[in-house]
Amino acid sequence: MLNLIVVLPFISALLMALLYLQNTEAKRYWLYTIIGVGTALLITLLSLTLLYNAINGMPTLHTTLFTWIRLGDLDIKLAFMADRLSLVMIGFITFIGSLIHIYAAGYMKDDEAYGKFFSYFNLFMGSMLLLVLGDNPIIMFIGWELVGVCSYLLIGFYHHESANIKAANKAFMLNRVGDFGFIMGISLLFIALEGHGFSFNAIEENISLISTPMLTLIGFLLFVGAMGKSAQIPLYVWLPDAMAGPTPVSALIHAATMVTAGVYMVARFSFVYIQVPDVGLFIASIGAASALLAAIIASYQSDIKKILAYSTMSQLGYMFIAVGLGAYSSGIFHVLTHAFFKALLFMGAGAVIIAMHHEQNIFKMGNLKKRLKLVYITMFIATLAISGIPPFAGFFSKDAILVTAFASQHYIIWGVASLTAGLTAFYMFRLLFIVFHGEAKSQKTLQYLPRSMTYPLVVLAFGSTFAGFLGLGEGYGNSQLINTFLQLPDLHHHLSHATEYMLGAMSVFFALFGMTLAYIMFAHKTQEPQADSFVKRVIIKKFYVDEVYETLFIKPLLLLSHFIAKVLDPKLFDGIIQLSIFIYIGLSIRFRKLQNAKVHFYALYFLLGLSFMSLYLLYKLGVTL
Amino acid sequence: MPEFNLELIIFSILTLFMLGGAFTMISAKQTLYSAFGFLVSMLALAGEFALLNSKFLAIAQVMVSVGAIVVLSLLTILTINTKVENLPKEPYKYLWIAFSLLIVSPFTLLLYKVLTTLPAHFAQAQTITTKLVGKTLFSGWVLPFEIVSILLLVAMLGAIIIAKEKLKGENS
Amino acid sequence: MTPNLFFLLASLLFSIGLVGVVSRRNLFVVYMSIELMLSSVNLVFATLSRLLGDAGGSTMAILLIAVIAAEAALFLAIIIHLYRQSKTLDSDLFSDLKERT
Repeated sequence: MLNLIVVLPFISALLMALLYLQNTEAKRYWLYTIIGVGTALLITLLSLTLLYNAINGMPTLHTTLFTWIRLGDLDIKLAFMADRLSLVMIGFITFIGSLIHIYAAGYMKDDEAYGKFFSYFNLFMGSMLLLVLGDNPIIMFIGWELVGVCSYLLIGFYHHESANIKAANKAFMLNRVGDFGFIMGISLLFIALEGHGFSFNAIEENISLISTPMLTLIGFLLFVGAMGKSAQIPLYVWLPDAMAGPTPVSALIHAATMVTAGVYMVARFSFVYIQVPDVGLFIASIGAASALLAAIIASYQSDIKKILAYSTMSQLGYMFIAVGLGAYSSGIFHVLTHAFFKALLFMGAGAVIIAMHHEQNIFKMGNLKKRLKLVYITMFIATLAISGIPPFAGFFSKDAILVTAFASQHYIIWGVASLTAGLTAFYMFRLLFIVFHGEAKSQKTLQYLPRSMTYPLVVLAFGSTFAGFLGLGEGYGNSQLINTFLQLPDLHHHLSHATEYMLGAMSVFFALFGMTLAYIMFAHKTQEPQADSFVKRVIIKKFYVDEVYETLFIKPLLLLSHFIAKVLDPKLFDGIIQLSIFIYIGLSIRFRKLQNAKVHFYALYFLLGLSFMSLYLLYKLGVTL
Repeated sequence: MPEFNLELIIFSILTLFMLGGAFTMISAKQTLYSAFGFLVSMLALAGEFALLNSKFLAIAQVMVSVGAIVVLSLLTILTINTKVENLPKEPYKYLWIAFSLLIVSPFTLLLYKVLTTLPAHFAQAQTITTKLVGKTLFSGWVLPFEIVSILLLVAMLGAIIIAKEKLKGENS
Repeated sequence: MTPNLFFLLASLLFSIGLVGVVSRRNLFVVYMSIELMLSSVNLVFATLSRLLGDAGGSTMAILLIAVIAAEAALFLAIIIHLYRQSKTLDSDLFSDLKERT
């Protein structure tokens, strides 16, 4: 059954691809929908069944499809391992994934390349499941690469606009830079564990064979991969641009699933990271910095999807703070809750965009709360969740992370995280208020939203509300359901209940403060932020990071490519070949003159040959004059 | 130092003629001059044969080589009576000759060295008589003799056929 | 008057004949140079005959003269034929086998 979960999406993707290629014009809406959404629902069912079994005490599942490479010591099987971590992951991936599939059936209804879209979508699902269910790092890496490819394909889905293609390229290239680190990490791991097998279990058993400096390096390199995949500093600049893809893509890939692959990877390699807490601290710091940076930039953005993109980056930073400081379960818990409310936010944003006839600038919207009631309510719930206001989901997961930071005495990280929590509430409520409150900037009649787009919002709203109760911290009843279930090697810190309550109250206070500030500033009159002061300009221009990358990396590379292609290649390499051709032809012309059919000359050639032979003989015979 | 006697003087004179004739032959512009050089050279060669006590050979040389071959050549040359301006233009003739002389010198040296590995004095004097030669020719050497006569016949026929003018109405 | 002198003379004659063949374009001169080469070989035979006291050398020399005569006939016939055909005595002009550029 485990095999089916991974293989089915690939098969359905292939099927839809073949159907689509067979006739790209035919609008087989229902056929593609049934295959696409049906597959998603089917694997959701299978995953939830397995999860249910695991809750009831089923041990870790191992299945093998086939042996992929066997060269002496190197034995890599296409095998899947479903331990609790993987099962939790595939549980929400497939569940939220199916909801987004249903949503996409409505969103992409009028698109010409509908079949292609669902083919890519299912391909992505398969790849993500491959990543999560892989038995060894190689299989995980295959899934890792594949989700990158799907991201590229889906971001550039509206390929007639060249800006979208550029965004897709950017995403893929930055991913690639991260992947380079990842590959190095895996290779080092492999070399260090020569001959002891390479599945995750085998690595875990033999981890003591690797020296600590080597483990530090490996941990760092693996995290470089996560930096690229999960959009942390410095490899994050692709995420805002990736919003060029259709909104379901943003919801699924860049909110709920692909970007959390990095966090999953750290949790999966937890047996490595607990040995090297310094790398963990580095990860947490990067996470904190990314969270803060993203929050600041989001506060000044005008495009609804870009705000949500930066918010994703910010929340990912939180997850990395958690896994960096050893609280792997809390990190995964935040992944889970974040998937719910972020998917909801993106889907709601998509609904708003469709309703407003593809308008994405929030300052051109306003006062939609009466006209889009369902969307408003669900998005309001999601915003409450993301701001960390109890009893919604975000509070518990975020609180767990903040408590970890404080308890492990990394107060700077805790401070940054708390500040960012306040900022999160601020910019999210800013979004909500500008879009749904205030004065209406446009009086257009709204596009009708199909039910396939609105019903999933409701389901996710329920999730955002109640998912938090899976991980109540110590002070709140200590159910810690998810932590005990996952059985990850968390570092435990003990805090008194009083401290815990105080920390919780502080975070709620920050959130409420942000919300109120947003209300004051944006609930009534709104206008787009102008680049008046220097500070404002820098923030609106996203701290000029893109421009810096352009000058530091892209321009020199382009110059080098241009140089090689236009100068080096034709002149040097072609030049050498041309030169040898030239010499050859020249020699040939000269030699050809020797064969002029004149007996005279041929006699001379005889004589020359004779002469040389005589000389040689004279030399050999030692004859002198 | 070889004995300085009459033989040597005659030898030297004959050599001079021979080499002079040879040089004229290869470097003269007009064909007839070359032919005369050739003539002189052949006559001197006959004299050399005589010096070697091969009387019959000397006579044969005069009769055949000079009397037939050179005469035939002269006849041909005079029949084909090309004017001086129709002769092949040979620019750099002397350059070619000089260059070839240079190139051929190792070969000459080799040839000389090979030939002089033989004993360096004449065996006996006057043992080769005409009578002896005749006897040898018709006893031990009769097969080559016959073959050469066939050769001559064939050559004659061949020469006639090659040099024949096409008659009217005949295919090539 | 040692044999060596004769051999030297023969070598020189041969070389001069060779030079004549290589250097000149006039067909007659080529022909006569070839004759010269053959005659030099004749001289070697004669010398060897005297040197070794063997009559075979002289016999061979006589036969060689006959061969020379035969060859002369043929050669001259060819020259006449060629002259009739193309009205020239220049060996360089008979170059039909050269490559066409």
